[in-house]
Amino acid sequence: ATLRLNHNNPPEHPVHISMQVMADRVAELTNGEVKIRIYPNAQLGTQRESMELVQSCALEMARSNASELEAFEESYSALNLPYIFQSEEHFNTVVTGEIGADILNASVAQGFRGVAYYTEGARSFYGDRPITSPADLKGMKIRVQPSPSAIRMVELLGGNPTPIAWGELYSALQQGVVDGAENNPTALTTARHGEVAKHFSLDEHTMIPSVVVISNCAYDALTEDQRTALRQAALESMAAHRAAWNAASDAAIEAAQKELGVNVHQVEKGPFVEAVLPMHEEVAAKSQNLADLIARIKAAN
Amino acid sequence: MRNAIDTLLRSTIVVIFSILVVCVSWQVISRFILGTPSTSTDELARFLFMWLALIGGAYTLGQRRHLAIDLLTLHLSGRRKMISELVIIGVIALFCAIVMVYGGGQLVVRTLSSGQVTPSLQLPMGYVYGAIPFAGLVMLYYCLTFCRDLFAGRSLNTDAAAFGPLD
Amino acid sequence: MASAALLLFGVFGLLTAIGVPVAFAIGASAAVTFLLFMDFNQSVFIVAQQMASGLDSFTLLAIPFFILAGNIMNRGGIAVRLIAFAQVLGGRLPGALAHCNVLANMMFGSISGSAVAAAAAVGGVMAPLQKKEGYDPAFSAAVNIASCPTGLLIPPSATLIVYSLITGGTSIAALFVAGYVPGILMGFGLMAVAGIIAKRRGYPVAPRSSWAQVLEATRNAILPLGLVIVVMGGIISGAFTATEASAIAVLYTLILALFWYREISLKDLPSIVLDSAVTTSIVLLMIGASIAMSRAMAFGDIPYALSDALLGISDNPIMILLAINVALLIVGTFMDMTPALLIFTPIFMPVVQSLGMDPVHFGIVMTFNLCIGICTPPVGSALFVGCSVGGTSIGAVIRPLLPFYAVLFVLLLLVTFVPEISLALPKLLLGY
Ligand code: NA
Ligand code: NA
Repeated sequence: ATLRLNHNNPPEHPVHISMQVMADRVAELTNGEVKIRIYPNAQLGTQRESMELVQSCALEMARSNASELEAFEESYSALNLPYIFQSEEHFNTVVTGEIGADILNASVAQGFRGVAYYTEGARSFYGDRPITSPADLKGMKIRVQPSPSAIRMVELLGGNPTPIAWGELYSALQQGVVDGAENNPTALTTARHGEVAKHFSLDEHTMIPSVVVISNCAYDALTEDQRTALRQAALESMAAHRAAWNAASDAAIEAAQKELGVNVHQVEKGPFVEAVLPMHEEVAAKSQNLADLIARIKAAN
Repeated sequence: MRNAIDTLLRSTIVVIFSILVVCVSWQVISRFILGTPSTSTDELARFLFMWLALIGGAYTLGQRRHLAIDLLTLHLSGRRKMISELVIIGVIALFCAIVMVYGGGQLVVRTLSSGQVTPSLQLPMGYVYGAIPFAGLVMLYYCLTFCRDLFAGRSLNTDAAAFGPLD
Repeated sequence: MASAALLLFGVFGLLTAIGVPVAFAIGASAAVTFLLFMDFNQSVFIVAQQMASGLDSFTLLAIPFFILAGNIMNRGGIAVRLIAFAQVLGGRLPGALAHCNVLANMMFGSISGSAVAAAAAVGGVMAPLQKKEGYDPAFSAAVNIASCPTGLLIPPSATLIVYSLITGGTSIAALFVAGYVPGILMGFGLMAVAGIIAKRRGYPVAPRSSWAQVLEATRNAILPLGLVIVVMGGIISGAFTATEASAIAVLYTLILALFWYREISLKDLPSIVLDSAVTTSIVLLMIGASIAMSRAMAFGDIPYALSDALLGISDNPIMILLAINVALLIVGTFMDMTPALLIFTPIFMPVVQSLGMDPVHFGIVMTFNLCIGICTPPVGSALFVGCSVGGTSIGAVIRPLLPFYAVLFVLLLLVTFVPEISLALPKLLLGY
């Protein structure tokens, strides 16, 4: 069977390359019985559209991220909480272990299940000035993705959350419509935000991974051996991806500093962690499932 | 009936369009003047806009103002003209019934049952997609009135070729 | 693949030929093509989804707002004052109103970053005036259609930002600066052709204005020109984004027309709003459907097949660049700009890079090329809007458009084969 996998990054993106690693490995493990064909640049639809296509079995696989998946399956919101992970290690333990697998399998009733997580590093604030404490954020207009958790996080840190379309963000930063934004370091180079935002502050508030999903129809059509092969290929490519991502991220920071003149600031995270703690309780209060997941993630450190 | 539907659509379009202007203006005022950016106007505007485009599209069909390439049909008259009109209306009606009403209906039912919500306002996504089957139904109704007028021997449009130029 | 292409273009060609409105023809051909890759229920599901979801973009909001602002300017006495001002400035040139149209599109389009918004706002104002002066409506519409995409090259440009995102980070600053010369060249080229045609047809040249008349026209135009200052100033100072500026333009024109000139009253507003909604939805229904069509092409691997076929022709760099341009021109006839950029940039990028072409230069070439595409039938958003606001039909406007296509094509070749047209400015200003 050929499984079509849609995503919205260019083919040079580390996540695309790692998904290709998974595709090659699956073909190898199943002697070519299961092929994955990757469509980059959202050719078959945006992240939300391709999730809907997966749910209706018009598309076999899609890559989205934990933030967008919140709209489809609430369990993912546990991963998106700021400072839920103490470190990169902690994050890796969670997503490669039992908790990660439970979240991937939580959406079967919604018509799909997760296959793999690919780290996209930690997201931090950047803008026209250094942000080394929550006090620095006071009164700053910070562009956020239009999700309740991103909005709440910036509110708790004292900033003014401002939804701006991704395509307008470069100009908005340049002209001062917003004073800052938050993303991982590669945004400085791949989206060229380093040209218009000269201070990147490594507060590393969230680690929101990419998630590859497969439709129930496609999954049910696989044999037990093929499913095992898919899981193995996913885990192997996730391990390879960690190294690739860190290299890409370090290269982005270096290029941003050297070529674009961006100042990178180290940040004392304590005050940030303290300010967003109420969010952990707010999200846990939404359902027993989320409360359990949050408790398990914290215990896994 | 036809007049009542026209009037209803007209009022809806004017109301949605006005809310849209207020919504985006408020986004600017709240951010630039009040300094506390609104976090929901962006999404509200996008979804009202989808409804506006689709209801507007349905109303526009009723006014026979969608653009067509009229090179081949411009000079037809009499019986040939009528057949050509019927075929065009048939294609539109089929599209509305199959894709917009049936396909769009499935889209609404599935997104409602899977519980997908919009990121910022947390509204069921099915409500947003409701614009498609709704517009499809209105368009189907207009196609029926066109057929009725054709068979009653009434010209569909007094001053212009069907789906031709705008005034 | 071949069957997908045949089905898609066959059904589309047949339906448009028999006079089915373009939006429905696009949607129906996409639905039929999807049947090759999925079952019936899934095909109609995906087309319905794309028709709605293709419109889910904040930047598209600029279209209804600028159309509405244009209508208010028309009915509220703002447009007349602006045109009177433009006439005392350029009235002695043959085809003065056509030149006004091009210049206004360059300004308006550069601010709004939307070709269709420019075509709607400027064309809506100019068309009735040109008619009054005895211009052929099809000629006026052709000038408006051909010149409305200039603002996609003249910065700021959302199109170039999209290009930068797809290519994984080509410098946006460099792309913006690179767009100035080709965009302005495009405008001036079109003005030259329009002037020649207007002179041949003997379109009226205004009598020389007296100083008193110049003063009077200038005084009257101060408040309407304030719109440009508010919109431009607001964007530059960071008060609002280019999309939000469109709503501010509505507010400004509304206040001026209602309370200052008092040429319209509150009870005129519903009909103005309704008119704008109709023009808007004609375009938007087609945009939504054309996104569905682009997805059908992607499912059918049509883009890859097209590029393979064209690149197989030769290994001479000049021939390859020509082939790419021809491919994009063909793509542009059927596809809207953003999907075409999204799908073809990654396909052609490795090829042109192996020829040693600069990514900034290629971005300008792609954008220039696709600017032509949105003016050509059968699928062209600028063409559709220009015809609706110009009160003419697609059939009528093709002939007057031909000389403009010709000059655009010549300029495209110049921009393709003379990299310095794009790159000189970024090298000079940014040390690119
Ligand atoms: Na522009
Ligand atoms: Na075209």
